[in-house]
Amino acid sequence: MNTTILEKTARLFLWIVAVLSVILLLRGHNLPGGGFIAGIVLSVGFIFYGIVFGSHAIQKIIKYNSRTWMGIGLLLVLISAIIPVLAGSEVMTGTWLIISLPLMGEIHLGTPLLFDTGIFVTVAGLILSVIISIIEVLEWNT
Amino acid sequence: MGNALTILVGLLFAASVVTPYLYSILKKKTGLFLSLFPFLIFITLVIEAMQMAPHEGHILATNIRFLPGMDVAFRIDGLTVIFGLLISGIGTLVLLYSSVYMSDYERQGHYYTYMMFFMVSMLGMVFSDNLILMFMFWELTSVASFFLIGFDHHLEKSRQAALQALLITGFGGLCLLFAVILIGNITGTYAISELLEQHMHVGNHSRYFLILNLVILAAITKSAQFPFHFWLPGAMAAPTPVSAYLHSATMVNAGIFLLMRMYPVMGGTVLWKYSLLLTGGITMFLGAFFSMGQKDLKRILAFTTISALGTMTLLVGLDSSASLRAALIFFIVHGLYKGGLFMSAGIIEKTTGTKDIDKLHGLFMVLPVTAVMTLLALISMAGLPPMLGFIGKELIYEAKMQLADVSWIVLPLSVGANIMLVAVAINIFRQVFLPKKGMPDLAVRYTEKNLSIALLAGPVVLALFGIFLGLFPKNIDIIVSNALYFMGNIQYKTTLSLWHGYNDVLQVSIFTVIAGVLVFIFRKPVIRFITILINWFNIYHLPTLFTKTINNYLAGAARTTNRIQHGYHRYYLITFFLVAMTLVAIQLIRMMHVETEVAPSPIKIHVLMLLILSSLAILFAVFTRSRLSAIIALGVTGYGIGLLYLYYGAVDLAITQFLSETVLMAIFVLVIYYLPEFAILSDRRTRIRDIIISSGVGILVTLVVLSAHFLQTDEPISRFYAENAYTLGHGRNIVNVILVDFRALDTLGEVTVLTLAAAGVYSLFRFQIKKKI
Repeated sequence: MNTTILEKTARLFLWIVAVLSVILLLRGHNLPGGGFIAGIVLSVGFIFYGIVFGSHAIQKIIKYNSRTWMGIGLLLVLISAIIPVLAGSEVMTGTWLIISLPLMGEIHLGTPLLFDTGIFVTVAGLILSVIISIIEVLEWNT
Repeated sequence: MGNALTILVGLLFAASVVTPYLYSILKKKTGLFLSLFPFLIFITLVIEAMQMAPHEGHILATNIRFLPGMDVAFRIDGLTVIFGLLISGIGTLVLLYSSVYMSDYERQGHYYTYMMFFMVSMLGMVFSDNLILMFMFWELTSVASFFLIGFDHHLEKSRQAALQALLITGFGGLCLLFAVILIGNITGTYAISELLEQHMHVGNHSRYFLILNLVILAAITKSAQFPFHFWLPGAMAAPTPVSAYLHSATMVNAGIFLLMRMYPVMGGTVLWKYSLLLTGGITMFLGAFFSMGQKDLKRILAFTTISALGTMTLLVGLDSSASLRAALIFFIVHGLYKGGLFMSAGIIEKTTGTKDIDKLHGLFMVLPVTAVMTLLALISMAGLPPMLGFIGKELIYEAKMQLADVSWIVLPLSVGANIMLVAVAINIFRQVFLPKKGMPDLAVRYTEKNLSIALLAGPVVLALFGIFLGLFPKNIDIIVSNALYFMGNIQYKTTLSLWHGYNDVLQVSIFTVIAGVLVFIFRKPVIRFITILINWFNIYHLPTLFTKTINNYLAGAARTTNRIQHGYHRYYLITFFLVAMTLVAIQLIRMMHVETEVAPSPIKIHVLMLLILSSLAILFAVFTRSRLSAIIALGVTGYGIGLLYLYYGAVDLAITQFLSETVLMAIFVLVIYYLPEFAILSDRRTRIRDIIISSGVGILVTLVVLSAHFLQTDEPISRFYAENAYTLGHGRNIVNVILVDFRALDTLGEVTVLTLAAAGVYSLFRFQIKKKI
């Protein structure tokens, strides 16, 4: 049932969704969005892609094993929890770096963003891991 | 110098983390390179000790703080420096020794990593100025020793011993955690320095009995005291350098350290005295007595360690300044001779391939240096001049004789134990190094000339230290006084000397030696007697009993699990719903009397329509005969709920709801093609049961939601979040700020659970594929 249109659409869709998910992640602190939502959005793109191209294609794009990505996500969360300790406050205290840029005004960079990124990576890796498993079982059955 | 110490310990930690990578670069030189770190720490501590004033300790505060009350700070006083010196000094020698001894082993990278972790956690435990930090390092030593004892994990025996050690010391660790929390709650601080400086003593508190029991349990499990002593001989399964380190300066001595550290906070009561006296006395005597009946060189040494630890426990329990001093000195003595003896045993095993003292003989000519060093260590163990062991034993006798109320039992026990130790010392030397008639020559793999200096360095340096401190004990006067000052807050001036003059103590010592020699001469009947006793005790063989208990427990757990985890999804759900329903119902009944305060808001027509639509979809899903339409109907309900969220302004929730519905749909679409034919298999009765349960859940949940809306027992916390999200969290999206900042710990927990769930899903699918292949 794979047609050129479907394949092209899936590829385009994946890209659009990937960009969208990053936007959702970054704006999450002030507007609706955030790591959890962005992670699900990204994985939706991959599901479509996986239905069209199969699990190996997903594997090729994400390069590392989806479970490795979950680990990376958790590691980011851990790092964001440890950074405040090194800075002298208690664990998981939000620590902020405020940068003033001439054109964009002030930018608040903080450990919550890192934390959210970790959540993003973990959630995306989690759903992908389930999806890949399902697709593999299905492929194996046919 | 203090800050240098913090940095060095940090470096040691860093080194332990990168050891696996170091090993792939340095290969055989890893041990040599790594021994540099503890050596530097040792030097720093020596300088620190030389500058030490009698009544002064200081704290190395770091800027790091993990949780409120859990500051990372280190403490330098006499006690910590004495322990630190032995840990780092013997650590250096053990690493040097390992670089040769372990060279034939596989997985050396792992070995050095565990060893370094062990060293760091031990140093951290000794130096930490915070009770919780101390507990963390305490647990780390248990974990590291688990890996070290089970290093030869292809052997059943090693795995068994490692597990045993971990379970027993882990149990002690839990006790310590409870004790630490209780102490923290009672005194209001976790800082050891505050506890010491403000003379806080929990002896009069109503929970004292509990705390004392917990601390003593922690100490005696770690220090292998009766009745938990059996894990230590089992730990002999570890490679020899590990045993040398475990017995001389680390692990088992941690329990003694804990008792000494806690002494000013909770020691000195009648309860403290008699419980430690009981366990220490039994252990001291049994250890020495059983060591005579052993054949394996390492096992003999293990039992003498148990005896020595018993002596130290007893001394701390005796609770006089003389006994505390004796305990401290004896810790140094024991560390020096036991480390050397184990390393010598390793050399002997390496050259001859056996540890059985009946098979060994005449090694004096083959290993002259080792023989002399072993002899010196044995002299120290037997408590003869000119070694430090003599001073240690004299102090012990003196301390015990001073206490009129208990000396009638303590002194004979202690003299008995020492007699056995003298006999064991002579016996070891006689059997291993002197020639025996009528025995064939041993096949020797190396002579001493072929042995590396790194291998011999350990026994030589430790024996020389033993002599040096024995001849010039003044060098440790100040540091011991300082330790005593902080232990009992007693101004006790220590002056150590080898010769005390002819007095009662010396008479007892002479008697001990003569009796020891006599026991040695009549060793055959004695050993036969002890063997009979050991066989008799073996009916209650503690390791086997322990293993049996654990196995029974596991079998019981398996039975229970099999009953609960039956594998029927519907029954899981029924159990879950029924339990939740009952609990909710109980709470609802309890809250019946509370008046409602908030008036219901007027019904909005579009919300009502949304609800009707969702309800219709649900009804359709229940009664439809096609799987696909049921799923789509469920999706309609889900989106309806999402819209409801959106209507009430919960944008993030709505997005999440929509997305998860979408993902669910996609997954259903993926698998629906492969699912079997949809059929109604359940009979009428089950369906009625299901209807009752599900409608019950529905009604109860509705009631809960309504009552949550109408009852306001306290000010809602959401106001705090709304007010502080931007000022504290720098974000305008309150939901997100709550998730990633205010309640980040919850999120972390949730994500971890999700990851575990994913691992479960993955293994389920893998299992299916594997099974079919």
